[in-house]
Amino acid sequence: MSLLQREREAIVRNEYVDDFDFDEIEEFVKNADKRLFISHKYRHKTHLLAQPRGGFPTYEKMFELYREFQKVDTDVFPLTIDSHTRLNDYASAKKMLLLSEENEVDMLNGYPLINHGYRTTREMITHFNTPISLRHGTPDARLLVEMALASGIFEIEGGPITYLLPYSKNFPLDKAFLYWKYVEKICAKYSTLNEPINRESFGALTATMVHPAITIVIQLAEMLLSMEEGVKSFSVSFAQSGSLNQDIVTSNVIKALSRKYADKFGYKDTMINLVFHQWMGAFPYNKEFSATLIDMSTFIALLVGADKIITKTKEEALGIPTKEANAAAVANTKYMIRVLQGLPKIKDEEEEEILTEEVESIMEAIFNDPADTLWRKVLNSIKKGIIDVPFSPHIINNNEVITVRDPSNAIRIIQRGNLPISDRCFEYEKSKLKVGKDKKEVVDKIIKDIGIMQ
Amino acid sequence: MKVVTGVVGNDIHVVANRLIEISLKERGFEVFNLGVNTYLEEFVDAVIETDADVLLISSLNGEAEGWCRDLLFFKQKFDLKGVTFAIGGNLGVGETNAQEIIPKYKAYGFDLVFHQVDLNEGLDSLENYLKKIKR
Repeated sequence: MSLLQREREAIVRNEYVDDFDFDEIEEFVKNADKRLFISHKYRHKTHLLAQPRGGFPTYEKMFELYREFQKVDTDVFPLTIDSHTRLNDYASAKKMLLLSEENEVDMLNGYPLINHGYRTTREMITHFNTPISLRHGTPDARLLVEMALASGIFEIEGGPITYLLPYSKNFPLDKAFLYWKYVEKICAKYSTLNEPINRESFGALTATMVHPAITIVIQLAEMLLSMEEGVKSFSVSFAQSGSLNQDIVTSNVIKALSRKYADKFGYKDTMINLVFHQWMGAFPYNKEFSATLIDMSTFIALLVGADKIITKTKEEALGIPTKEANAAAVANTKYMIRVLQGLPKIKDEEEEEILTEEVESIMEAIFNDPADTLWRKVLNSIKKGIIDVPFSPHIINNNEVITVRDPSNAIRIIQRGNLPISDRCFEYEKSKLKVGKDKKEVVDKIIKDIGIMQ
Repeated sequence: MKVVTGVVGNDIHVVANRLIEISLKERGFEVFNLGVNTYLEEFVDAVIETDADVLLISSLNGEAEGWCRDLLFFKQKFDLKGVTFAIGGNLGVGETNAQEIIPKYKAYGFDLVFHQVDLNEGLDSLENYLKKIKR
């Protein structure tokens, strides 16, 4: 038995898991309907795919949510995992699931996949026959991803950086990288049986003043770490920044560079998709304003030629939306996708050149780290502040990069910390800003810039 | 002057925490930021370890009261006489008013209590207070 298979046997031997039948699961994936694979859907799509967010604790409520999504012809369904499961606390998830089932009150903020198990969940997934995307936020997702793939969930979101730096204060970085390496390996393994399993990075990060150079570097790093293990279909992603022009520039640069780096490392046979998140920052309490903001997001996703858009609802500021509100949001987004055709291609050559140089300088610094493997190089780069995510709660994050918005709302670097960007690029960033040297003023500006859409 | 700061309890509100760090540094303080999800014991340990002049705790989710009740105990247990204790943010759950909240936290052993006060306004008061006690 291979080392990986021995590790897998150990992972699934868990008191909260019923007997895990690897042979049966392999047969299931081999014969699974093509319609369950988002990689297949990406290859044959004729329009921007729409995917909402959502997860409820009980099987019944999850099923009803999917039925609601089916009514509005949703392209990709979500399966959002509850926060106890994300922290591998299956005992609490089990208790809360029982309470939710008994009292018809939702005691969890998502679907506890481990407690439901793959046999039950697979029934629901094969019933709807629509691709499902696993949304979680788990640094150690080894068991969760085994369970998801066994259930027929063939897209896995996350990564060692994007599911760690925005979510955790002190989960060890090296463990996160190694646990995700396991995830990549089993995704690659299952990809040889039928259509490829798609991996998606979470480019929204902290959704708070993250400069596109940082977002793109992290997307490229997670993409390469994934492809290194044999993943054949990967989605890079980013969230609406608050500046239309910056979003266009970001999309052009991320498309060009993701293909360039994948080819350079010898992963020419891979498919790369672009995912756009509707505004991920603080939403207005006014529902009409929220609806307008969401429409604007959809417009931008179409303009930048994204392959998939992940939707929000106009109730965002008020809590977890009802299934009806969630489906209505998908219907509106789909309406916009249907009626907005033939948008112009926009380019801003100067901005694209600057952003490309910034990303390439940071990537070069990562590759130049003396460590022997890519994951160690990336890990060391986080420690050194070469990768620095604004507003990450993680203790290892450097927190030296400071960003503010320019008068066009584009996010600019005012303090570069250890980001290895050239003086020329840094001067360009600062030249766009209209904010004084006084830090009190800068702090007040940052507070305003964070709440820009409220 | 040395300041230990962070967010108390199971509170992940990182945005305000970062802004406090930036602002304190700008005002010339040497900052030891323990970040989010920090327990009172960890704050006290850090104050002793760094020989800090100020402990500035923040709380956004309103659950600070439960976490800060033991401050007097720590003040008795360790020699923390030269340290200024300050707390700020959103210090109560639900509808609350400053008249009720401030005396409560002062009784727990805080010298300065900022309930729903602007960041720069709060830090101005902290600086004024430090100048006053120096004199």
